Amino acid sequence: MATKLKVKDFLDEPACAHNSHKATPCSAPKPGATSGGCAFEGAQISLFPYADAAHLVHGPITCVGASWETRATHTSWAGRDLTQMGFTTDVSLNDVIFSGEEKLQHAIDRIAADYSPRAIFVYSTCVTALIGDDLDQICKAAQEVYAIPVVPVHAPGFVGGKNLGSRLAGETLLRYLVGTREPEYVTPFDINLIGEYNVTGDMWQYTPLLEELGIRVLATLSGDGRIEAIQAAHRAQLNVIVCAKSLISFTRRMEEMYGIPWISQSFYGKRDTSAALLSIAEALGDRNLIERTRRLIEREEARLEENLLPYRRLFAGKKAILNTGGNKSWSIAAALQDLGIEVVATSVGKATEADREKAREYLGADGVLMQNPGAEQAPLIEERGAHLLLAGGRSLYTALKKQIAFIDVNQEKKRSYGAYAGLLNLAEDIKNALENPVFTLAGRNAPWDE
Amino acid sequence: MGRVEKNNPPLQINPIKLSQPMGATLAFLGVDRCMPLLHGGQGCASFTKVYFTRHFNEPIALQTTAVTDVVAVLDGGDYSIVEAVKNVSSKVYSEKGGPALIGLYTSGLPETKGDDIQRVAKQVDSPLVYVNTPDYSGGLESGWALTCTALINQICRSTTDINPKKAVLLPHVSMQPLEVERIKEFIALFGYEVLALPDLSTSLDGHLGEKQAALSSGGIEVAQIESLADAALVLSVGESMRPCGEALQGKNPHMRWHHFSHLGGLIATDALTQVLLRESGTKTPPASVRRWRKRLQDAMLDTHFSLGQTGFAVVAEPDQLASLCRTLYEAGGRVQYAVSPTDSAVLEHVEAEHVIVGDLASLDGKEGDYSVLVGNFHCASMAHRLGKGYVTRGFPNWEEVGNQLKDDLLYAGSAFFLCECANTATEQREEHRSDMRFK
Repeated sequence: MATKLKVKDFLDEPACAHNSHKATPCSAPKPGATSGGCAFEGAQISLFPYADAAHLVHGPITCVGASWETRATHTSWAGRDLTQMGFTTDVSLNDVIFSGEEKLQHAIDRIAADYSPRAIFVYSTCVTALIGDDLDQICKAAQEVYAIPVVPVHAPGFVGGKNLGSRLAGETLLRYLVGTREPEYVTPFDINLIGEYNVTGDMWQYTPLLEELGIRVLATLSGDGRIEAIQAAHRAQLNVIVCAKSLISFTRRMEEMYGIPWISQSFYGKRDTSAALLSIAEALGDRNLIERTRRLIEREEARLEENLLPYRRLFAGKKAILNTGGNKSWSIAAALQDLGIEVVATSVGKATEADREKAREYLGADGVLMQNPGAEQAPLIEERGAHLLLAGGRSLYTALKKQIAFIDVNQEKKRSYGAYAGLLNLAEDIKNALENPVFTLAGRNAPWDE
Repeated sequence: MGRVEKNNPPLQINPIKLSQPMGATLAFLGVDRCMPLLHGGQGCASFTKVYFTRHFNEPIALQTTAVTDVVAVLDGGDYSIVEAVKNVSSKVYSEKGGPALIGLYTSGLPETKGDDIQRVAKQVDSPLVYVNTPDYSGGLESGWALTCTALINQICRSTTDINPKKAVLLPHVSMQPLEVERIKEFIALFGYEVLALPDLSTSLDGHLGEKQAALSSGGIEVAQIESLADAALVLSVGESMRPCGEALQGKNPHMRWHHFSHLGGLIATDALTQVLLRESGTKTPPASVRRWRKRLQDAMLDTHFSLGQTGFAVVAEPDQLASLCRTLYEAGGRVQYAVSPTDSAVLEHVEAEHVIVGDLASLDGKEGDYSVLVGNFHCASMAHRLGKGYVTRGFPNWEEVGNQLKDDLLYAGSAFFLCECANTATEQREEHRSDMRFK
């Protein structure tokens, strides 16, 4: 199977800051002391938002039985939202012994017949990779029969973590879809949004602004994405990576293959949103556009400030501790600062070098970058007099014990905190948390313990 | 009761099936201070952990041997399992110390390449129970039951002694924590000290602990499993739990073992009560039991009008399916379709027009026959799309909170369940009527 991607190549990403000085890139997980998802999950996160494509998982039931319909990646696709459906061959012992290839073929036939998708992604998993089912051949044959892209995705869980899976997904798109169709027309302001999955509609908080500026989102990887659009993504003027560091490989390769420059931006909070809009305009290089963008930013910031006034009064003098992962360690910190809340500490345990640098930049010299937030956050709450803890559910106990307000920052959140409008959602949630008596009442000692 | 339809489609579309290792995870979480250790790729554990965390709204203790592609080729489990046990034992502590038990079980990955976990388990010093649960066989129920059987076979000591006051409950996987607790309390009313294996009622019952525990935060203790076999009375609930009852009976020939398919509705609860009266030598049950029976009788009559005109589709694991369908049937609920993710002997006895082994797509095109859908979170979008009433039951329920506090069993729980279904059906009819008016 010469067409298979070489996993090793993707472990060593030259555009990752940490790879310039580490002897071994992205290390192997430690048995009994590992958390986080697998490569298959990473691939799934990156590709499933294409709602006009069917996503068929060739593996045993855990892979998709436990994971379908878990991410609130919204779509405007008018057809049936295939993102929120689960398709799996559910391989059995019989398939493991005698091969699951025939079953896979029939599964593809059934999906093509019953759901008329614009493409079918076929994901290998640990078990089917191990038994050596030939996805490439089966997909190729099916593609000829149904005249839609049938794309093998080789990111079985055991090759690595989520980031690697995302990279492999990006490479799969480059190999099978990007550049296979020409757009109906092009504009000088065509961009691709990369690593934006439109979770809870985050993307829709700022795409109307781009549209107003005359910037066209040609394709996305993959929020509210369409197969046709990603096929024509090679004609964009600019790739904008939103948050996801894992897709740097994708944009770097797009630059090599099609000469498309890329920038990495965040749309969390006021300053970052404004900076992102301006950076996009500047990268597109049109003086007029830049001027329009400045005016739009001014208008939006003024509107936001007006809406934030009542919150600002409430938040004055409030201090927060943030315990989350990756780019959120600084992007949410920035958003909190935009609301007038002092961020006294943030976690950088799993963050990349670049994320760490950014966190330092936002928090300043006095801010604490927590390496081991589980142990550090409780004493810091007292030391710094924090009023608010933003963290994953596991830290709720810490907040209760210290009797301070708590907000769950996880992506399972049902509300978008993206861009200007999302900041108001965040402000409202923080206000509600600060005003909620539950954090002092629920942890109260029992009358018989006093 | 209809014939059981078993199709053999090449794929699952919108699956309701859950894997064996997921069932094993839950079973180990019902043992106090246990660390479930899933031998497989890191994703198997990660997906499972996130899944149950969202269902229970509780942290889930779970570790992985994190088998990689290279390890998969070179290692037979000797490195990854031994190393994982070492890391778990040395690094994970709860308030009461390190793990009292490591629960080692497999996903499909190591089973495909043929790791011999029994052999590797012998190289480990820590207390450990192993069980083979590849996710290409069985399902949630079998994973739970295999683990329960392994706990009995590998920990429980054989004896011929009997403690006449001791009873053991063997609950099936779909029983929520409060249901397990209510049954324990029910049996206790007849003078028994009751243990449940596994026992989620003291671990995943959603209690506010002192501190975030890294291990399971409750459940039956290992020492209690060791000395389980002197129980006078063993009650297994659910077809999937029959082998566990057999295994426990094998540890002590004097033990009296009774099996129940389920404990939903009037007739099943009567049967349990009769057994408990007989075994405990009591003439009449306690006042609260008698009172709740009367309330259930009344609830059956109060709900029969709504339920009798309502077609249901019920989606659940086989043992829960048997329970829910029977409870509805007793008050006239017309279950048109009962859908189970896996096959089971109990499906032959499910009270429904049609019993299907399949996925949610097996209900496609049948929406004319039912107006209320009883099933898990994945049924929600289907119910909304089709304008059906919707009662959330089974794994997962990510839409609502309070899952561990749901109780559909015995006299009391059945009464609440019937009322909820009848109200949902009435509400659905009202909405449908107002839809018609506006058209």
